[in-house]
Parts: sequence; C-alpha cells; structure tokens
Amino acid sequence: MTTFFAIAVAMLSLGSAFAPAWAESPAELLKSIDDRLSIPDMRFEIRVTSFEDGKQKDYNRIWGFVKGSETEDSRILLYFVEPASVKGRKMLMDGNIVYLLFPRTRNPIRLSPLQVLLGEASNGDVARTEFSKDYDVASLEDAALDGEPCQLFKLSAKEGKKDSTYRSISLWVEKSSERPVYAEFFASDGKLLKKAYYKDYGPAEGRDFPYTMDIFDAENPDRHTTLTYTKIGRLVVRDTVFSRDYLEAWTAEAPK
Amino acid sequence: MTPRIAYSASRLALVALLAIVPASLALGLEAEVALDVLPAAALGQEGGMRAQTETTRLLAQLAASHKQSLEENLSLSGTFWADADSLPSGSPLGTPDDKLSISSRLLELGLEWEALPGQLIVELGKKIIHPSSGFFKTPLNMLSRGSASGLIPSTGAAVSTWEEGWVGADLSYLAGNVTIANFFSPRMEWSDSADQSLQYLSQQQDDFNDLLRLGVRIGTADLRLLALASSGGPGSEDPDLRLRLGAGVDANVGDSLTLRAECSVADSQDRLDVVDEKLLTSRDESVAWAPRALAGFTWTGPNELSVMAEYYYNGLGMTGSDYDRLIDYSVNRLSLPGAPGPDILDQFGGFEAARHYCFARVAGQLETDLAPALFSVVNLQDYSGMTGVNLAYTRDAWALSGSIADYWGGKDTEAGLSPVLWSIDLQLSLFF
Repeated sequence: MTTFFAIAVAMLSLGSAFAPAWAESPAELLKSIDDRLSIPDMRFEIRVTSFEDGKQKDYNRIWGFVKGSETEDSRILLYFVEPASVKGRKMLMDGNIVYLLFPRTRNPIRLSPLQVLLGEASNGDVARTEFSKDYDVASLEDAALDGEPCQLFKLSAKEGKKDSTYRSISLWVEKSSERPVYAEFFASDGKLLKKAYYKDYGPAEGRDFPYTMDIFDAENPDRHTTLTYTKIGRLVVRDTVFSRDYLEAWTAEAPK
Repeated sequence: MTPRIAYSASRLALVALLAIVPASLALGLEAEVALDVLPAAALGQEGGMRAQTETTRLLAQLAASHKQSLEENLSLSGTFWADADSLPSGSPLGTPDDKLSISSRLLELGLEWEALPGQLIVELGKKIIHPSSGFFKTPLNMLSRGSASGLIPSTGAAVSTWEEGWVGADLSYLAGNVTIANFFSPRMEWSDSADQSLQYLSQQQDDFNDLLRLGVRIGTADLRLLALASSGGPGSEDPDLRLRLGAGVDANVGDSLTLRAECSVADSQDRLDVVDEKLLTSRDESVAWAPRALAGFTWTGPNELSVMAEYYYNGLGMTGSDYDRLIDYSVNRLSLPGAPGPDILDQFGGFEAARHYCFARVAGQLETDLAPALFSVVNLQDYSGMTGVNLAYTRDAWALSGSIADYWGGKDTEAGLSPVLWSIDLQLSLFF
C-alpha cells in the first residue's frame, strides 16, 4: 500500500517542456531536463494501477501536492481517495523520510525508505527521481530508441547518494522533442531493476508533461504499474504545510 | 469501561448511523463497520474449584468520520461510533446483563481554525492526542481512555482503532522544524440527571489536564518533549496537582531501519502492594517518579518482510522479591474458594505487573491482498507470555482478518495466572 504513495509523488517531477535549447555541459543538459520535468507547487490527482499477467492487481486514486526546492529534496503530501480500504490515509514524503497517518489515528508513523519502496512501490522512486540532484552524468552519447534518434544519458549516483536504491540510470531523451521517453534503473551490482516509459505528453501548467508513466519490473516483465495523472494544477501553500505535525490538520481537497 | 447511555437512545442513534452509512459516498464520509467474532476460554472458579469457561463474544462496531470545510481555514470534523456487544466485560468470566448491549458515542467532534494558515492552528472540541510511536506499549500517550468498546487489539498493538477523546482547546504553532502545542482540557462534571444526554457527548472529566508538546526535527530525527499537569480540582478526592513528563525520539538508519525510543515519568502513581502473600493482605502505596520507557525498531527487508522488536521498561511494575511475593499472593488467592482479597495482579492490566518486557512481530505479504503476522510478548522476569498469529485479507471495500493468541507460562507466572487461556478473533471490516 505504501507503495502507491510514492508512485503518486512520482509524477510530480515528470513534466517536460519544449523549452530552452540544450545547454552546453552534460550536467547542464541534465539540469535543464529536470527543470522541464518539474512543475513548481504542483497539485495533482493520479491513478496508480498495478498489473500482473495482464490482470489488474491493485488500484489507487490519490490527490497530492508537491513543494520543490533548488537545494533540497521535494516534499510531497498525498491523500488516498480510493479504494475505500485506504481512503483517508495521508502521507508526507520529505526526502528519504516518509510519514503515514491512518484515518482516526493521531500520530504519523515514520516509514523507512524501503517500506515505501516495497514491491511495486519502488516504482514511485523511479518516478520521482530528480536526476541532477542525485546523479552525475557519467557519459552522454547519441543513441536510437525504436528507430527514433535520442540522446542517451548514463547517470551514476553522486557521492553521498551512493545508498540510493538505483546506483545508476540510463535515460533516453528524444532529440526532436527533447522529451525523456525511456529509462532503465540499475542496482549497485549493475543488475537492471526497473524500466520506465514516459508517455502521453500534453500541456500542463505551460509545460509539456508526460501524463502517463509505465514502469516494468525488469525481472518479471509481466508485472507493471501504470501511473496516470488525471488532474494537474498549481497551488502555493506555506512550507509548514509540508511538515509531520501538519498532517493531522491537513484538509485534503480535490485538485481542480 | 465506557459509560453506556440509555438503551433506547443508543438504539436510535445506531439506527440513524446505519441509515447514514449508505449515503457516505455521496457525503464524503469515511465509514467502517467491523464485525468481530471472538471465541475465548478462561479459567474461573466454580464452587471452590477452577473450571474452564468458554464463551464467544459477538461485537459489531460502526464508526463514521467526516471533515467538512466550513469556509477557508475553518473546518468541522468528527467521528461517531456505535457498537453492539454480547459480552461488554470482554471476559469469558463476565456475565452480561443483557443479551446484547448497544451503545454509541461521539469519539471526536471539534472546530479547527487555521488562524495563520499552515502555522497557527486553534482547535476547540473533543479530540484524541496520541504522541507515542510505540506499538506494544505507549508511554507517551499520557491522555488516553483506552478502547471505546473495551476490545483489546488482536494484533499486539497497544492502541485500538476507536477511542474516545477529551473535550478541550488545543493551540498549535508550527515554525520550520519546530512545533509547539498546548491542549487544555477542563474539569467537567454534571449531575446524574444530566448524564443521559451529556455523557453522550463526553465522559465526565474529573481532572483538568494541560498537555504541553514540543516537537523538533533535528537532522532526520524527530524529537518530542511533553509535560502534563493535571488535578482532580476542588472537592475531588485527589485535589493535588500532578505532573507527568515525557520525551521521545524517532529516526531512520539507512533505507531499511526505523528506530524509536520514548520515556515518561509521573511524580506519583498509586498501586496496591502485597503485605503478606500468605494472609492475602495488601496496602495502598504511592510510587514517586516511576519511569515507563520503550525502545524499539522496525526493519524492512525484501519481499515486504518487516521485523519489529520493542523493549518495555515499566517502573511501576514489580521486580525481585516484590515480584515473587506478588506472584505468590496471586497463586494463593486463586487456590482459595471465592478468591479472597483484591486481585493485585489485575490492577496492572495486561503485561504491566513486571518491570521488563519485550515484544516482537514479524509480518509479510504473501500476495497483494494477504498479509500474515506473528507476534509475541515475553515477560523477561518469569519468561511467560503471549504469542499470536494474525492473517489479514484486504480487498477494495472489505477486509477479513483472523487472529489466534495463546497465553503461556507456568502456574506461577504472570501469563500463567491470566484467566485467559486462549482467544480467537475473526473480524470482517467493511469500508465505505
């Protein structure tokens, strides 16, 4: 269950715009991609659906807010709307610290990052990765994906982020549109863990945003999770709203 | 035990609530119905002989919560609860007055005003305050009435799903990584004639309570400091001002480990002590500054495996020769017809008579919807305890769970002296 939350969060970071031309250094290029992938003060509704062997295993509808920062990890507030068994749960993700508040309880439970990343939940981590904050560009080369010319970024975790779930990432960015289209996420031993497709780009708050993300388990491709944004907007709220002690007071409202 | 309101009024309330639930989707209510079937066996005394009694408790609980924005930065929230219980005492040895006891209460109801949005929050009404992070025991939950139904959670958890709050005013100020809050709960008493209606809103509050909380985030750790001042007020049997202090910390270590530690201490607590275990005599005594402390961790591994362990230090509990005399007293008391003398062991509650305890829980996920858990409590002084298994199957709108718990230990141990031999809990929950 915690899984999905993270996932919801994910999308926050995904959004690209046909914005600025490529900067010069690989690091600047990566930063410009991040900039296009993030909508400041984003509020959203997301549907997270997990499949196995073609059958739907799980489904969640979640409302959320994101507070980004140039220097710090994004903070995300999530409210579970569906299904009824999880309705009313609230979650705060503050970097690697995650709090979960169950309905009718009064003390948020602190979760370990792995609890959030469990099973399909690891998809969330995939989705919310802010590449330039956590990763250095190890190499940048031309590559093709399904015949489409792309630039392939090979990323490795920064010093201090070596304990990240994904030690390295390969990210394909379409040359013609400058959209991230596909990524592979690797463990520290080089093992491929996840594959992610960024799809259904469309306008959102003045940006070109991937409304759908398909994440596949590398070991078992029959297991995959689809994250679909159904509403995206912006709402500026105080920093203190993204704090553990505000979770109880937070009144979640449907994004408009 | 929760005071019961008049049967007819309760029945009306329950019917009204049942009528509300189908409309919950439209109204945005969060509602849950839980049906518990609890077969249990206990040892009791019949005509001077100890005999096993087996009873099945049927308990239906229904709760509906809602939070409604009245206008910007002002909201009203509440939780209504009702139950129908075939064994309100909760003990197989308890004889119910009625075939079915029906009761209902407002567990919480209050106005919340964000005077400074996201920064200064004022709440007026009835609310629950549970600062503890403990699972097995909760030293920092200084204001707690216990389960509304009297049902002890069958998962090893200390806190039940539904509990009644306290009427008062809470003021919270959030600034960066610091939160300071104060909850004042006044002394509230009324005449017996007013009980029927007023107790529906709240149990009487004989004490006034003032709970000051300070929360600070230091690095990735959360630190909490608490101070509770309370008094029985003028005219009460205990007019003295009492003080309870507490502190707790939560932290993460790496990606898979969360740690928690907390401690609370009261300036004085009353208990019944053994004078002579053979003559079954006892006396009241006051224990000063006896700490309750808990330290534990949760480790998360692959395949959704989680392991939790907690150590609990109970300063009010007995140790050494005092504990031996308590056990001897209880053994002697049960060996005599009619069990003369007060039940000193029972005064402490479940697993609270000794000084040292530990708790462990291993949980996993077999399928997306199926979650097993194994848990155990051990009294580290006499090595008795309780072990249980829980299996939960959760779907979108309902969940079915089953638990079985066995109390084990010799006849001269705390768990061995528990009248409960074993218990089973089958629970069906419906979510709306």
